Amino acid sequence: MPLSGLDATAVARCLSQIADHGDDLAEAYFERLEEVEYPAADEEPGIRVRREEGFAIRLVRDGRSWLAARDQITTGAFGEAMRQVARALPAAPYPEPTLDPAPFPTLEDTSRLARFPTAVTRAIRRQLAAFPMRLRVKRHRRWLRVIGTQLAPEPQSESFYSCDVDLPWGRFGALTPDLSGGTVERLATSLTTLFRAQDAPRVEPAERSVVLAPPAAAVLLHEVVAHALETDTLMMGGRVESALGLQLGGPLLNVLDDPTNAPESVRRSSDDEGMIAVRRWLLRDGVVEQPLADLFAAHHSRALMPGAARRGNRHRSPAPRSTHLELLPGDSSLHELLAAADRGLYFPEVSSGRLDPLSGRFSIFLPYGRRIEGGALGELVGPCRLRGTVSGLLGGINGVGQDVESAGAGWCAKNGLKLPVWATTPAIGIGSAEVRG
Amino acid sequence: MTGDSLASGVVEALAGRGLKDVEVFLKSGRSRRFEIGPQGRIASSSQEEGWAVRAGSDRSSLFVSGTGRPATVGPWPDPDGQPLRLPPAVAVPLWNPPADLEAPLSGEIEAIRLLEAIETSVTSELSGARLLRGLLDEGSSQTSILSSRGIDASYRGRAASLFVEMAGPWPGAETVGVAMARREMRSFHAPTIARRLVDRLLLQREGQSPDRDRGEFLLGPALGVRLLVALLPLVLGGGSEAIVRALRDRRGRIGSELLTIKDDGRYRGGILEAPVDGEGRPTRETVIVGEGRFNQPLVSWNEAQGTAVGASGCVRRPSWRDLPRVAPSHLYLAPSPDVKVASLLTAVTRGYYLIDTQGSGRFDLERDSFRLPVCGFALRQGHAAVPLAGAWLTGSISAWLRGIQGVARDIEFEPWSGMIGSPTTLVTGLELRRNPD
Repeated sequence: MPLSGLDATAVARCLSQIADHGDDLAEAYFERLEEVEYPAADEEPGIRVRREEGFAIRLVRDGRSWLAARDQITTGAFGEAMRQVARALPAAPYPEPTLDPAPFPTLEDTSRLARFPTAVTRAIRRQLAAFPMRLRVKRHRRWLRVIGTQLAPEPQSESFYSCDVDLPWGRFGALTPDLSGGTVERLATSLTTLFRAQDAPRVEPAERSVVLAPPAAAVLLHEVVAHALETDTLMMGGRVESALGLQLGGPLLNVLDDPTNAPESVRRSSDDEGMIAVRRWLLRDGVVEQPLADLFAAHHSRALMPGAARRGNRHRSPAPRSTHLELLPGDSSLHELLAAADRGLYFPEVSSGRLDPLSGRFSIFLPYGRRIEGGALGELVGPCRLRGTVSGLLGGINGVGQDVESAGAGWCAKNGLKLPVWATTPAIGIGSAEVRG
Repeated sequence: MTGDSLASGVVEALAGRGLKDVEVFLKSGRSRRFEIGPQGRIASSSQEEGWAVRAGSDRSSLFVSGTGRPATVGPWPDPDGQPLRLPPAVAVPLWNPPADLEAPLSGEIEAIRLLEAIETSVTSELSGARLLRGLLDEGSSQTSILSSRGIDASYRGRAASLFVEMAGPWPGAETVGVAMARREMRSFHAPTIARRLVDRLLLQREGQSPDRDRGEFLLGPALGVRLLVALLPLVLGGGSEAIVRALRDRRGRIGSELLTIKDDGRYRGGILEAPVDGEGRPTRETVIVGEGRFNQPLVSWNEAQGTAVGASGCVRRPSWRDLPRVAPSHLYLAPSPDVKVASLLTAVTRGYYLIDTQGSGRFDLERDSFRLPVCGFALRQGHAAVPLAGAWLTGSISAWLRGIQGVARDIEFEPWSGMIGSPTTLVTGLELRRNPD
């Protein structure tokens, strides 16, 4: 474990010196990151490796936070950061803790990563397609440990892969917990469909019935449920507690955030503030039950439960974000969802989304879709935007599929924090939504 | 071990592995960040230190980066992919470092006062307006580049950035934001920033859009900047030849005689002002478009080899984590030193003064068209007559470039991918529409 060798007891003792007011929160966050990337075949330089480590000390008092971060894990740097964060220095300070983390492990075999682009190209050919593309694949690993004055949860780690593909007609990105054969086939299918959809006709702007496949449903729910129910978003609109009990969607909507049930390589038992990660009901039968909260929000409201804090890196303070979103299955088969949306549109994937936190208006960008004709999938259509308000869209969901998939993983960027997010969802049907070509 | 001897050790170690071209990039710095928002008041301080090594032979290459200082023992993966060629050293013209490099970074009280002053100024004019998020960053850095081809360069830099997001008190209000960058936090002027926010908020509430209208358009710096950002594919080489061919008229011009676009890595007082670029090559002024005629795109030393154009010294490397890439440093539409905005304003008998954008807009260089959401005022006889908002400035990019009838002296830079600057311009040949489709 790369972050062993930290004297947690001594760190906690040091932190207790600066957390000298009753409600103070003080914590030390240690992290290590490693990224290994194989760029596209025509790009130099070849293999790319990034390794970094560091820590941050944070003190929260009366609605104010002080944070000091360093790009090294050493006893001297820790003492210096402690002095920067402390509001008053103790008369007889405890000795600085010994921080002697084990060295980074040797670089693991990367041959699987190197072979991935060739595997994807072969899978595309098996689908009787061939087109120019530039594929970059990257392995991300992260180890972290949070030590507070009263808690020192188990160290956490994450490992996953990202792919970025430049195509003559656009870009495509995906996150995946592994580089299995299934991942290769899914990526090849997405790219091949994008290729075949490049000359597809555009749809006319109109209100339409829509069916979103699991990957598209996951991104939509991330934008309109997860982001809308982050406590920092809710605080912009007023009191967070006023959202509790609000009927945000129909009774078919049971949405949770559960980092403990994420794909194994990114599964978490505690969040980036060291709080226990829980199976959190965001919407139960369409009613807001428990927003995504961090310690700061939970400190100001007893109705809120911490455990959803995430950090982009040690230099930034934590903020409430989703980790692994789940929509519980309904009782509709895909055939039934399509039959209920005749003459509508089916969207397998979403390329990006955006939510205005104040007005509740959102836009989702869909790279391609298919017409639904006679309850079956018809011709391909070109890129579209789906727009609306959170309440309007969630209220319009009229069917939830019965088959869930681990799908819709992607990068979430909000307030400058870029974080990987995961989801497990079925398909959903929406009675009427504004679609523009 | 000093930075230089350490870097020399790395160069030697990698040369011993058959990698004859080796470059060591070292960057360290400190920064402060102050935030007012839904997470309370946050004061952060960071000390950052990182390095990057590019190395290659005629057959393969690698890129490795990390925190702290590089070690001669690596980790060095087996090189892979494409060969790597590093630039040879050339003489760097004399450069006088800016005087403010020694100025201390701002403190917490100073920063919070600035954010509070902006909020107070806005609310004194617009009761009930709310500061949703205010963010101030300030930092200084030192960079060194040493290579096996004789590059040995060091330079320092400093920058401050401000982001403020506010909302009006009326129902359905959307957020309004301002993002700025200066060399020092002390250069931000609270009343000016508040004025811009108040204008935007009031226009959002009171502004209306005509169905369709033409006339003379006075485009404020924010619009000029946004249009220049859309022209980046023209500036950055690659596909610039095809774009120039499409935009060029019978006289060989792509724009009005008043159109001169430059990039300058030594722009006096600029945030990215430096003697060398991210590969240690000298920076310089590059005229991209001179009096309406396309001159050359930005090109790296490698791209310039065997061509008639000169290398621009324009390879940017914002962090040690980033690979060097061609990008603007200070890209701007050259101002006319003798022309006041007021003189352009009074020259408009019937038209619009567009002061800001209200979204990102859509630009299509291939189809030579753009649509940009804007706000401002309708002008009658040089005076503001009616507030304008929710309108789209539409037309062809070539019409905008050729329709520039006047350029003022009030250049302003905004932080994008590099600093992009524009003065106020007077343009004809464009159209305002309520509905962009």
